[in-house]
Amino acid sequence: MDPLLRPGHNAPHLPAAMGPGYADVFDRLSRQGGRVETTGTNALPTFDAHAGAKQASFQPYQNNGGSVVAVAGKDFCVVASDTRFGLGFAVPTRMISRNLVLNDKVVLATAGMQADTCTLHKVLRIRLDMYRQNHGKDMSLGAVSQLLSNTLYYKRFFPYYTFNVLGGVDENGEGFCYGYDAIGSHEKVKVVCTGSSQSLIQPVLDNQVDGKQMYDGQPVAELSLEQTVELVKDCFSSAGERDIYTVGLDGRGQPPLYVKILKLAFVLTSHPLRSKYTRSHFIQGQSPAVRDSQTTTDTYFT
Amino acid sequence: MVREGRMFLTRSEYDRGVNTFSPEGRLFQVEYAIEAIKLGSTAIGIKTEQGVVLAVEKRLTSPLLEPRSVEKLVVIDSQIGCAMSGLTADARTLIDHARVETQSHRFTYDEPMQIDSCAQAICDLALQFGEDGKEEDAMSRPFGVALLIAGIDVGGKPSLIHTDPSGTYVKWDAKAIGAGSEGAQTALQEAFSKTLTLQEAEVLALRTLKQVMEEKLNKTNVEIGAALVETGEFRVYSSEELEACIERL
Amino acid sequence: MELGFLDRPHGAGGVRVTGAALVDELGYSLGCDRMHPTGAPVLTAPPGDAPASFLTEAFRGQDDHALKFLHGTTTLAFVFQGGVVVAVDSRASMGQYIGSGSVRKIIEINPYLLGTMAGGAADCSFWERDLGRRCRLYELRNKERISVAAASKLLANTVYGYKGMGLSMGTMITGWDKTGPNLFYVDNDGTRLKGHKFSVGSGSTYAYGVLDQGYHWDLTVEDALELGRRSIFHATHRDAASGGFINVYHVKEDGWVNISHEDSGMTKYYEYKAQSAAVDSTAMES
Repeated sequence: MDPLLRPGHNAPHLPAAMGPGYADVFDRLSRQGGRVETTGTNALPTFDAHAGAKQASFQPYQNNGGSVVAVAGKDFCVVASDTRFGLGFAVPTRMISRNLVLNDKVVLATAGMQADTCTLHKVLRIRLDMYRQNHGKDMSLGAVSQLLSNTLYYKRFFPYYTFNVLGGVDENGEGFCYGYDAIGSHEKVKVVCTGSSQSLIQPVLDNQVDGKQMYDGQPVAELSLEQTVELVKDCFSSAGERDIYTVGLDGRGQPPLYVKILKLAFVLTSHPLRSKYTRSHFIQGQSPAVRDSQTTTDTYFT
Repeated sequence: MVREGRMFLTRSEYDRGVNTFSPEGRLFQVEYAIEAIKLGSTAIGIKTEQGVVLAVEKRLTSPLLEPRSVEKLVVIDSQIGCAMSGLTADARTLIDHARVETQSHRFTYDEPMQIDSCAQAICDLALQFGEDGKEEDAMSRPFGVALLIAGIDVGGKPSLIHTDPSGTYVKWDAKAIGAGSEGAQTALQEAFSKTLTLQEAEVLALRTLKQVMEEKLNKTNVEIGAALVETGEFRVYSSEELEACIERL
Repeated sequence: MELGFLDRPHGAGGVRVTGAALVDELGYSLGCDRMHPTGAPVLTAPPGDAPASFLTEAFRGQDDHALKFLHGTTTLAFVFQGGVVVAVDSRASMGQYIGSGSVRKIIEINPYLLGTMAGGAADCSFWERDLGRRCRLYELRNKERISVAAASKLLANTVYGYKGMGLSMGTMITGWDKTGPNLFYVDNDGTRLKGHKFSVGSGSTYAYGVLDQGYHWDLTVEDALELGRRSIFHATHRDAASGGFINVYHVKEDGWVNISHEDSGMTKYYEYKAQSAAVDSTAMES
């Protein structure tokens, strides 16, 4: 039986952080000789021959970049993410998925470390399946938002290196999104961006969608789904020009080459006709590589 | 006669452990636990479109007994309540388990637990009896108690669920458990209709209790409560409300 | 329900969160909502023997990528003749980035208990949510509300159990119980103080300046609410890590009331400027 779950008293059971097993990790690393360090912005451990100290550090994280955006409208939510996998200055692949369709009303997009993203997505998929079996219904957007927060917080002391946005349509058919930090602090909003281009994209969305920093006092007109999608595309293409960890669209609206891929992942809508329309809308300009690797019909590329 | 004799023999051989089936495929300890409920005071649940009524008899064995300390109707979570019959001490473990589970559900999913899932959680624990005693709350014998769980799901759907020591749970329109359950169930079957109002259900529950109770029904020896569709909450009635119900009998 | 299998993706022989773990398996230990039978959450342990410095070690030499959590704040609460006033800003920053300008830093633990959020946003909201769960269980089991003193002690004991592991939480727990209005300060060291007036967060020194000079026990409710609001405003004016909206709650005998949610930027600035010369006008006009 897991020592954490051993009965006894009412106090929360603390992880056995001081357990003997962990010291071993450091011993083994240091026995490999040399100091483990990182070079530049690349988080891969490398050995530094000049460092005299026989000291090692365990570096479990790497930042693979990427940006994710969610914008909610009255009856839809657009969840988008770029597809670049970065590793320092290298780009090992330009085609990874950062999205997870949790059910037909909720989509998650995750930036940060790809390995942690995979694991987090796996855990959530299992949790949603279990919930469906145990309670005989799909999880609502609100339920997923809380579950994700808790799931992230349970790794408070060894966090998932992930920056999530959750988007979807709630029980009343209204679009909402949630933005998260790495350990589960979250907020219900109408527009959110996380990941490497967060500080480039979020202010634009605040201004264009939320009408913030508009001092003429005029409330902004609500964006249609089409306008929202165009705005999100513009955000990615602009951010891609200024952030090495985010790939953007070609600003002139050219069909994307292998470099210029914006994965406008999932357009959720409570209106079936709209869903159909957006599909044909985005199918144009789809790159062949994408079509082969992704077969989900809900996935759109431009 | 021979057959009955053999039956007796089998029982004495196979009824001591909870982890051994008899050759006829029976778990006698579970069956005996179900028998224990028939010694308990009567409890009745009736489901209507406006909500679910629970009424219980309280056996006050002495005039010196403090009636309020006998508690057979409890709140599990704001939308769920339950009535019990049998070994009520066993019920406390089950109910506390249900409370922890419903609160954990709110904590994890930010939503109230469904009534079905709550019954399932109770039955999960009810089934965990055995002689190894590994689980925290699990007992070495079956829980000798039956529960009537009443609640309102999100969207205003009322539910009445009966759980027994075998870990089985079944939904009912109207159900009686405890010593007077046989007579009460027959009475309910005759009087129940899906068009009952909540007030009519209150009266039917008390009238049925009155028929099967040995003592004369009064405001100290019964308890009544209801899960209301209107509020989505389960509430035990105050003694004034109970008195008003009794007056309508 | 047994969820332990989620922690053992490799089958029975796989890694457990707390056992002796192999280095190449560490990444696979999954956190999920494993609850102790009492309902208490169980958190995953970090690898290594120094949990508090785990993250700093993991990002040594790569500040650009270091994990930053949402932080920030000015919060305050004080008891006066009319109950308790709680006032907070709404800014949360991650390093230099303003992660949100609309954080709800007053956490509604239940209809008669409030908690405030300063320090790590996730730490505060998670443990105060947990506190809400435990207060509700207390109420169901004992058929009466938990006292503010007991509630704050539950929280203090919880975080004390994680002492040295890097939690960041400076909170005020307040409410009205049998003994009247109550206010407690609880932080991640396990400190728990009963008091009449607290301010917590990076802007607290500024808030104290205004709060102390305007505070009297006999303040009217209206004046007390305004004092709270004004104290937060001046803190947001001088502290870069505070800002956004000013949220004000009033704790009364029959529970708390959400009083106001106001933009602490231009609107409030001009309102106060008209009232007094205390605000440095040159800063805004230049």
